Amino acid sequence: MLSIRDLHKSFHRAEVLRGVDLDVAKGDVVAIIGPSGAGKTTLLRCVNFLERADRGEMHFDGLHLDMHKASGKDVLAIRKRTAFVFQNYNLFNNKTALENVTEGLIIGRGMPARDAEDAARRALDKVGLSNRLDYYPSKLSGGQQQRVGIARAIAVDPDVILFDEPTSALDPELIGEVLGIMRQLAREGTTMVVVTHELAFASDVANRVVFMDEGLVVESGPPDRVLHAPAEERTRQFLRRILPAGAPLG
Amino acid sequence: MGLDLDYLARTFLLSLRGLPVTLGICASTLLVSLPLGFALAIIGIYRVRVLRKLASVYISFARGTPVVLQILVVYSVLPSLANSLAIRAGWDVDVFALNPLWYAVVVFSFNTTAVLSEIIRSAILTVDRGQYEAALSSGMTGRQAYRRIILPQALLVALPNLANATINLIKGTSLAFLMAVRDVTAIAKIEAARGYEYVESYLAVFMIYLLVCGATQALFTLVERRLGIYRAPVVAF
Amino acid sequence: MDRPFNPGYIIEVLPRLLAFLPVTLGVAAATALLGTLLGFVLAKAKLGRSRVARGLADAYTWVLRCTPSIVLLFLVYYGLPAVAKAAFGVDVSLRHRAFYVVLTFTLFFAATMSELMRSAYLAVDRGQREAALSHGLSEFQAFRRIVLPQAAVSALPNVATSLVALLKEGSLAYTVGLVDLMGQGSLIIARGFGAWSLETYLAAALIYWALTVAIEKAAGALERRLSVGRRGLA
Repeated sequence: MLSIRDLHKSFHRAEVLRGVDLDVAKGDVVAIIGPSGAGKTTLLRCVNFLERADRGEMHFDGLHLDMHKASGKDVLAIRKRTAFVFQNYNLFNNKTALENVTEGLIIGRGMPARDAEDAARRALDKVGLSNRLDYYPSKLSGGQQQRVGIARAIAVDPDVILFDEPTSALDPELIGEVLGIMRQLAREGTTMVVVTHELAFASDVANRVVFMDEGLVVESGPPDRVLHAPAEERTRQFLRRILPAGAPLG
Repeated sequence: MGLDLDYLARTFLLSLRGLPVTLGICASTLLVSLPLGFALAIIGIYRVRVLRKLASVYISFARGTPVVLQILVVYSVLPSLANSLAIRAGWDVDVFALNPLWYAVVVFSFNTTAVLSEIIRSAILTVDRGQYEAALSSGMTGRQAYRRIILPQALLVALPNLANATINLIKGTSLAFLMAVRDVTAIAKIEAARGYEYVESYLAVFMIYLLVCGATQALFTLVERRLGIYRAPVVAF
Repeated sequence: MDRPFNPGYIIEVLPRLLAFLPVTLGVAAATALLGTLLGFVLAKAKLGRSRVARGLADAYTWVLRCTPSIVLLFLVYYGLPAVAKAAFGVDVSLRHRAFYVVLTFTLFFAATMSELMRSAYLAVDRGQREAALSHGLSEFQAFRRIVLPQAAVSALPNVATSLVALLKEGSLAYTVGLVDLMGQGSLIIARGFGAWSLETYLAAALIYWALTVAIEKAAGALERRLSVGRRGLA
């Protein structure tokens, strides 16, 4: 459904992505892992055109784009069929939880206000926040804010949801509530691409794990193989560094 | 000496008649300066090439020279300039019969636009970039993101400075008498010279300005409270 | 105005205006000095414990913020002699006009400075003072050596803005007859029966502009020098 070919991106002179390929099929849960600076977040942001790639091709469900030259119209079309969950939530500060969800439906997609509100209520109900509809982000905990962020993403019924380290800004005790919802979405067959440091989550929930380092995909495959029997030395080193010796995954 | 309270009260009431002029100049100026200041702020933020250089020279000049000089310069050049333009264009208007109020609006807009552009620019820059990105990824266009997400938040940040700028503008219009505009100060000044009761006259306008500025401040505080409902309560320490 | 604009006259009149620059700067310097002193007293009142003093200082600041310079200038210029005569039987009306100008703008500048000092003081983390006290510095030493230098740096850009405002507002002094830069300009114009007024005003504007830019540049340079050790973690 989504495939990226030969994606390149530099900031000033630093090459952050050096020819990345990524394939996502409908219903896939792809976890992208790797050390910081590997280019994981940049990859995700390029897919949503929050960063403009220097080079690369994108096939997205019938659309075929040059990622460097894509027109404003194409970009908007892609954004309307994808959703992005940010590391620091980025809820609209001046909108309530409900409005945060309806905004993209009414303004971005031209949905009638009443339908949008119904969809938003359902989405917020799903993330367990139906009692916080009128709360402004400043009144919500980090975990609640991120759950609104997820509701904002699922409400638009996107082809794929892009998660950029959705739990790394959260206090440890709040991580569980967010991961729980993501698990639930995965069970329901939502297509997701998740940049994450939560290896246990990657191991349990993802059907494919992509390990990136220094702007390249080092290896990818089912979690059993990449996380438990990696073929590449760099993957092994990474896993050794972040896992205490002998600790089981997930 | 002893104050002539009767005279003071009379001048107060008389000068109050200049209030519509004072407020009219301020309102017209804001009407002109807000959109222009916004445009300049956007030019500054997005570094539009040549325009940005021009804008920064204009802002530096408008903010770096006394208002009184701006008034004197404009008032010594604008009427005859407008006149020769009118003659060349073949309009049958007597420019010199034009209400000097319009010259005042030109001068104060020249000055206030520069001030507002700086306020708006820095207010927009305080809004986190993530807000803009989140709006884009929700499928909004850049314009929609600005209108619905960025500007409402920037406006709230800018309000205290906008209040200051408005109060400064109101105070600044007290110099409009230099252009023969009959505002609050001008009326009091005429009264002062006629009756030789300077102190009473200026006390009267002093009081009027206190009232007007107090009301302006109160209005801004009210708006800020209204628009600021989404903010976290300030924790006192 | 039936003669063409003559840019050459701007150059011609510049030195004649610049001759009176020392008056403008002297008045501004005196005002800044006195205003800072009075501002310090007000800031102390605002930060102090006495509720009455705080209320008075706040009210003072508010009133001055709402008063147009020209109105206060006229009020002082016409009112002070009357008050002095009535209260003390002193005739001050012959004193130099600079006296009224400095007094008027000192009142304004003190209000601005007191607000600046207050917020700059509050911007310094209170842990700084506590750390200094716990290291055996006295209250005064802690203020003088730790809090003040940090507060000064954070206030610097606003101080520069206030100085610029003082200089610009000070140009109104000519309306009570002080012969400074601006006063000299209007004398020149009056003597020429209004001829060259545009060129003369433009010349004056150029001088004020240059002064403003100089103040801002100087403040920027000073800030960079003083903010060593102030780099954040990010």
